[in-house]
Amino acid sequence: MIKFVNVSKTYPNGVQALKDINLEIHDGEFVAIIGLSGAGKSTLLRSINKMQSISSGQLFVNGVEVGTLNGKKLRLMRRNIGMIFQSFNLVKRMSVFNNVLTGRVAYHSTFKTLFGLFPFNEKILALESLETMGILDKAFTRADQLSGGQQQRVALARALTQKPKVILADEPVASLDPITTVQVMDDFVKINKKFNITIIANMHHVDLALKYASRIIGIKEGSIVFDGSPSEVNEDILVKIYGRSLKHNEVLGE
Amino acid sequence: MNNLEKVLKKQPKKWIINLIFVLAVLAAIVYSFAGSHINWTRFNTVGISLRIMIEGLGSINTDFLLGTGIYQFEEGVVYLALETLAIAFLGTLIGAVLAVPFGFLAAKNIVGKKVARIGEAVLVLIRVFPEIILALILVKGFGVNALTGVLTIGLHSIGMIGKLFSETIENMDRSSIEALESEGADTLTKIRYGILPQLMSDLSSITLYRLDINVRSATVLGIIGAGGLGASLILAAENWNWDILGTIMISIIVMVLLVDAVSGYLRNKLL
Amino acid sequence: MRKFTVSSGKTVVKPINKIWFILLVILILTVIFSLFIRIDPRNIRIGELFILFEKLFTPKGNRTWGDYFAFMLTLREPLGETLKMSLAGTVIGSLAAVPFAILSAKNILKNKFLYYPVRFVINIVRTIPALLLALIAVFFVGTGVLSGIIAIALFSFGIMTKMLYEVIETVDMTSFEALESTGANKIVAFRFSVIPQIAPMFVSYMIYIFEMNVRSSAILGYVGAGGIGTTIKDNILYNYDRVGAAIIVMLVVILGVQFFSNFVRSKLQ
Repeated sequence: MIKFVNVSKTYPNGVQALKDINLEIHDGEFVAIIGLSGAGKSTLLRSINKMQSISSGQLFVNGVEVGTLNGKKLRLMRRNIGMIFQSFNLVKRMSVFNNVLTGRVAYHSTFKTLFGLFPFNEKILALESLETMGILDKAFTRADQLSGGQQQRVALARALTQKPKVILADEPVASLDPITTVQVMDDFVKINKKFNITIIANMHHVDLALKYASRIIGIKEGSIVFDGSPSEVNEDILVKIYGRSLKHNEVLGE
Repeated sequence: MNNLEKVLKKQPKKWIINLIFVLAVLAAIVYSFAGSHINWTRFNTVGISLRIMIEGLGSINTDFLLGTGIYQFEEGVVYLALETLAIAFLGTLIGAVLAVPFGFLAAKNIVGKKVARIGEAVLVLIRVFPEIILALILVKGFGVNALTGVLTIGLHSIGMIGKLFSETIENMDRSSIEALESEGADTLTKIRYGILPQLMSDLSSITLYRLDINVRSATVLGIIGAGGLGASLILAAENWNWDILGTIMISIIVMVLLVDAVSGYLRNKLL
Repeated sequence: MRKFTVSSGKTVVKPINKIWFILLVILILTVIFSLFIRIDPRNIRIGELFILFEKLFTPKGNRTWGDYFAFMLTLREPLGETLKMSLAGTVIGSLAAVPFAILSAKNILKNKFLYYPVRFVINIVRTIPALLLALIAVFFVGTGVLSGIIAIALFSFGIMTKMLYEVIETVDMTSFEALESTGANKIVAFRFSVIPQIAPMFVSYMIYIFEMNVRSSAILGYVGAGGIGTTIKDNILYNYDRVGAAIIVMLVVILGVQFFSNFVRSKLQ
């Protein structure tokens, strides 16, 4: 359970990215965050696992205030949160299998991981994740030899291997072609339902967000201007969030 | 479960090759130390040696630096440093100019595979000689003086610059030439506006890089008398004259750092 | 400079082509520097060169060709010394370079006051020619292979550090970020995201530096640091044919190392 209480964030250059955010996200939800670029979506997402620190307010993840966490405790918390990035963030020269295995590094001491030796059951777990994502056959291929959609699935497999309770996704399909996009979004839904993992995703394409998420949060200039189910979103709401009608590249189409 | 275990077993075992490689190298190194006659007791004197060295290095002999007092101007570090620079500069210049024809003769897309192979072989032959050996040979023909230094560096640079230049020619970007062709340009124009700009900027970059290295070589060549700081260096070294040695070392460092900086700056501007 | 006026009334100034300026500078420098090179025609005896070649590559006096080649075989030992020295020095220096390269890379430490001093010290080490390092090493530990190894190690350290930190600075840090988000600490994240990217480059550079060191070990031997260079120095006064034999052996070895180096490095890409 993730709870924002009066959270604000101002960057050193004076930009106020988050203004008094109050939000509660429950286990198992599939939340999509939409809004203009620079509205604060990324800051909001990244403050959850403290990849971005907040200026004021309190952020609770499963009852623990994130702001108080540092060093080892912070890493223990991050272990339970998976993160998916727009540019996949894989180690290109490494095999898919090794990439997925790195999801477990936080579960061992530094010394042990330096040698790259993982226990047998974790190797099986990595393969299981790959199987869930449907790319088991690519296990020992080099990561950069895969297509964009496949690479994002590897990233998802890596996140799954962490056995997380939450997965944060920062514009996960923005770099993918329309067909692959749909496949990856379907994967998110599958993970959400099968493992009951909370999904919080920043989405650039509004129609995708509406189609796949169970809850929509609209951000404008650092504040939440909409929080409800996809069915409640109409043209007026969208204008409120975006300040204008949508451009064609904010809608995937079909 | 079993299915996955099978997949795991099929994993390519790259780590074995890596391990063997690392062990082999380690073994070779241990053998290097064990098999040679190393006098480990010399390490006891390191402390004393260090003190002597630092004392000597700290005191700069200004007479020697400027070529005043008991030293002739030509024996002074300032003069010698300039002489070293001169050797490096002129040698690199000669090398760069002559490297152009050699470079073309070694480029497959200019003279064809067969001739290029011969050209490459010639360049390899020139490059394989360590500069000091070249210098020892040329000394016989040109005397123990700065001229030999210039020729040694020049000859060696033909090989070094020539190789990189021929690679540049082979990797030449054809698109600008095609654009000119489509405009109806003749051969001379194509060379002047399509090929020359690319090649010249690359050649300049290669040459500057080489100049940097040649300055260091020029200081060393003096060891056998080919001019520059090296000669004084070896004399001072043989007498363990640390303050002179220190002066020389510091000036070498300063000179090389300067050339490094200038060369780096110019190369950045070229890019 | 030329001024152009276009139809809309605006003017554009075309600066003088810099090329002429550069050529002028080069010309001036050439003239000035040439003053340093005094050429005394009496010193130039090209004929001596040919005589030298003959002396180098034919057996001397009453030695035979058999002796000539037999001598080459006796060079096995100094040759072995050269190779061992180069290998040990290269590996030790290269490994020592790793932590320093990491510390001098802009994207790791980020604090200017940390990485500039480190870089500066390393630059100083780099500017000292290998020969000078050998002289210093000989002063400390006496002549022989050990001083050669030390000199080569220091030299390799200098070069490898620079090449390595330049690579580290161009590395893709996105996977580093991803690993940190899974809860890894900086060291672990580094080991799994940066190291796999630079490892092939490291090995490639190490082989390249090894090649350079085999070549320079000739001169190192000259000042007493062991290897073939010592053979040359010992024989240079009276036994030119032995010097020639040593040169041939050295050239063959250098060529061999070069081929090996090019081959392995192309495979690594």
